[in-house]
Amino acid sequence: MIARDRNWLLVFFVCVALVAIYPFFADGYRLTVIRDALIFGLFAASLDFFWGRTGILCFGHAAFFGIGGYVMARVMLDVAIPFAGLLGLVGAVVGAAFVAGIIGYFLFFGGIRGSYFTIVTLAMCVICQQAAISWSSVTGGDSGLIGIPPLEFDSGRLHLDLGQDLPSYIFVAGVVTLIVFVLWSISRGRWGTVLVAIQDNEVRAAALGHNAPLRLLATFVLSAAIAGLAGALYVCMAGLVAPDLAGLLLSTEVIVWVAVGGRGTLLGPVLGAFFILRAQQVISSLNPSLWPLVLGCVFVVIVFLLPDGILSIFARLKALLRAGSKAP
Amino acid sequence: MNEVLLRAEGVGVRFGGLRALDSVDFTVREKQLACIIGPNGAGKSTFLNVLTGTLRPTTGRVCFLGQDIAGLPLHRIARLGIARKFQIPSIFPSLSVAENLSVATWAIASPSRSVGELMELVALDDRAATLAGELAHGQKQWLEIGMALAIGPRLLLLDEPTAGMTPQETLATAEMLLRLKGEFSVVAVEHDIRFVRALNCETLVLHQGRNLVSGPFHEVEANDTVRDVYLGRR
Repeated sequence: MIARDRNWLLVFFVCVALVAIYPFFADGYRLTVIRDALIFGLFAASLDFFWGRTGILCFGHAAFFGIGGYVMARVMLDVAIPFAGLLGLVGAVVGAAFVAGIIGYFLFFGGIRGSYFTIVTLAMCVICQQAAISWSSVTGGDSGLIGIPPLEFDSGRLHLDLGQDLPSYIFVAGVVTLIVFVLWSISRGRWGTVLVAIQDNEVRAAALGHNAPLRLLATFVLSAAIAGLAGALYVCMAGLVAPDLAGLLLSTEVIVWVAVGGRGTLLGPVLGAFFILRAQQVISSLNPSLWPLVLGCVFVVIVFLLPDGILSIFARLKALLRAGSKAP
Repeated sequence: MNEVLLRAEGVGVRFGGLRALDSVDFTVREKQLACIIGPNGAGKSTFLNVLTGTLRPTTGRVCFLGQDIAGLPLHRIARLGIARKFQIPSIFPSLSVAENLSVATWAIASPSRSVGELMELVALDDRAATLAGELAHGQKQWLEIGMALAIGPRLLLLDEPTAGMTPQETLATAEMLLRLKGEFSVVAVEHDIRFVRALNCETLVLHQGRNLVSGPFHEVEANDTVRDVYLGRR
């Protein structure tokens, strides 16, 4: 096993252990705070799965988060639908994947890459947010939909009520752990290696027989599907959905989380989301107008000093120490 | 005679008012070696782009085993069995040598050679874990030839495979191709005459987009018109 994989697994298990023991020390409110941060961490990991391996930035990932959220809200609010929780999750995933599939098909097979892709997805995000505001008979317009019941799974003997703090925390932690691990397995294996090859030289990869547009499309669809799942989970936990969840601000924030956490590491973005959201709460409680300033400065400092994200600080320190010990 | 693998008939290419190629005919048979030579601007690379299907000819057509390949997506052409080495070394710099070759073998159902065998073939077996971007120029060229071989091609197209190589590397490349003769056909576009002489095969001379002479290299080399073109007397 190569050192990079070993380090990743080490950090992964430390994080899982911390998440697992946290309920023994925290009260219900703190659990819900961490739970929501984990959901946003999953959202960040979904963007990183695409951006990190393909090098193509999607500037409208919140559109998929929002689509997942709205689908979930509609299904949960309809009393006539049986197994609403499960159906809602499936619908959210399929809905986000479907939209990504249509948009991605035209972009990837039309040869749109790089910053042009970024611009088109940015426009897509604006359209989604506008649709959420204007289509008020379905989306509830500007104020969104409220009173969404919490997830509840009932299969005879097993009854899982995710309206309570601890079960919902455990459920979200389990889902996030599983998905981040699966995404990592995919991206370090054959699939991810070919994606890196396509990022390096798409023509070369195609001339070897790889269907590059199809592979990029499949990666984008999977990434969007997970963003949709994160949106659906968030909506059930928060109990409301609003146009902001499909908006440009959230799209920008998720990019910052990934950039700060370290693009291409999958775990870094989860930590990035976690720490930035925590910092946001702490700093906003001191002074609400301070946060955007701090966020901007942190972003600039990270991009200049640690372009590979906060996780790379260990590698940087190691390199510095080695250089220091070599110096006369 | 072996079966015809690739046939180009009356291929002409125009870029706006510029006539890059004018009714060039060319045939490659199964397991044949062939070279395309000519001075700069003769249309060699354009012709190779037509042969690989990446450039659709204005007139004429190119058939691979009877199928017109113009305008097919690149990966489909590769899966037909046409491998290509680009003029600029085109490798995956952020992957290791072994990963580069692995990516090449993954695209097809049943690779004929393992990654280990390929590394041995292109003399990079001691560099398996080296990032391809850190290789020397000649090694990158060899790595790309190895990647082209990985897909088990029926036809290998090489665009100036020895560009930037030392004379020793150039001859070693020619020797490798001669060793592999009998597995697949090779078409090389080259202007290093030492390399073409070492291969000593069917040679097509292009000049100003036209087929000037074609035939075995020793005949082409002795041809007065070819000498005039290369010495710039015409």
